[in-house]
Amino acid sequence: MTCTLFCSSLYGEHHHLVQSPWFAPVMTLKTSAPLRAEPKKKKKVDPRREQMLRERLKKKLKKLEKVPPELIPIEDFITPTKCLDETRERTAPRLSFEESEGRALLLKEWCRYKQKQHMAEVEAVELALEAQREALEELKLESEELYRAALKPDPLLIPFVHEGPAYTPAIPNYDAPDGKYNDITKVYTQ
Amino acid sequence: MNPVFRKVQASVAQQALLLNKALTPCRAAPSIQHPVWCTHSVNERQYKGMPTHGIGRWKYLLPKQAPRKKKDKHQMKRIMSATDTAYGTLNVNVSGYDMTVVEHYSQYIHNFCNRLGIKVADSYALPRKSTEVMLMQEQGTKTYVDAVLKTHHRVVQLSTLNAALCPVFMDVLLKNQPEGVQLSVTEHTEADFQARFKARPELEGLIAQMNQ
Repeated sequence: MTCTLFCSSLYGEHHHLVQSPWFAPVMTLKTSAPLRAEPKKKKKVDPRREQMLRERLKKKLKKLEKVPPELIPIEDFITPTKCLDETRERTAPRLSFEESEGRALLLKEWCRYKQKQHMAEVEAVELALEAQREALEELKLESEELYRAALKPDPLLIPFVHEGPAYTPAIPNYDAPDGKYNDITKVYTQ
Repeated sequence: MNPVFRKVQASVAQQALLLNKALTPCRAAPSIQHPVWCTHSVNERQYKGMPTHGIGRWKYLLPKQAPRKKKDKHQMKRIMSATDTAYGTLNVNVSGYDMTVVEHYSQYIHNFCNRLGIKVADSYALPRKSTEVMLMQEQGTKTYVDAVLKTHHRVVQLSTLNAALCPVFMDVLLKNQPEGVQLSVTEHTEADFQARFKARPELEGLIAQMNQ
């Protein structure tokens, strides 16, 4: 405690003494201005230097701003070189006549099934839209205010997040192992 | 020889001129009986007067395109704001671990919007995010790398969405959502657009220095 007080007093004195060039402490080298015989610092150079610095910064900024920003490359769209290796290619398996026929017929069945599904969906959408249109018309006849309120967008909808269905239901009383997630996405800089 | 040639040329030219003046009414339909050569002089080009002149021209019918600069600055498309009857620019973000499923779902959404007449402003992919799953070891406190999960994102940007069309749209989307795929509908902001670009630490450092 006492040594810190002493030090602080020393430093305090030091700070106080350094302010005047005549009373430099004994420990430091005597390098005050009159001893060095240096001319007094001119005030013109400082603003010029600052201006030069600023101009240089501005020039650098302009150069950097001229270059347009680049989009982050998407790794999904770049095929890995392993897949482009020609030695890994294999020929298609030879199928018997019945097998290929069976496959073609299966494809046709699947096409028909999917088309039915699609048509059903399109019809359902059209029905829904038609029903909505009729309802809105009826509402318009009833009251204009309610009609206008019905047409307004819902502010509580956005933002909307929904998780897809899971293949299996959640296991009850599941004890997950301890651990953590680390984000290792590559950060691109220009 | 030369003065003779000149005289012959002059006489031919004179004859041609006379014939021109006589035959101007019938110049429009030159037939085999009145061959075309009689209606032109040495200095006059014939094919510009033909009725089939300019028959192959088609470039004047195309809309005028501004000359494309080599350095195409990625301009942000205008962000529409919500009106009385419609939402503003919406981002439908589809994300999941399985890339094919995510891509097919985003394509389905795009097709559906085209069918319903909803304007699709942009359809792009965001860079994938890799997450390392670290599990604790059974004996000891060290964690080891168990797996690397890559999350893929696809965005379908809609310029406007009619508020009356919205419930039907969302219903169909939710009905067709495949498993393991998260659907998120948010408003498009400029920050979202800027996040697609590479970070420029030098530029930001310089700007910070300038403002100091």
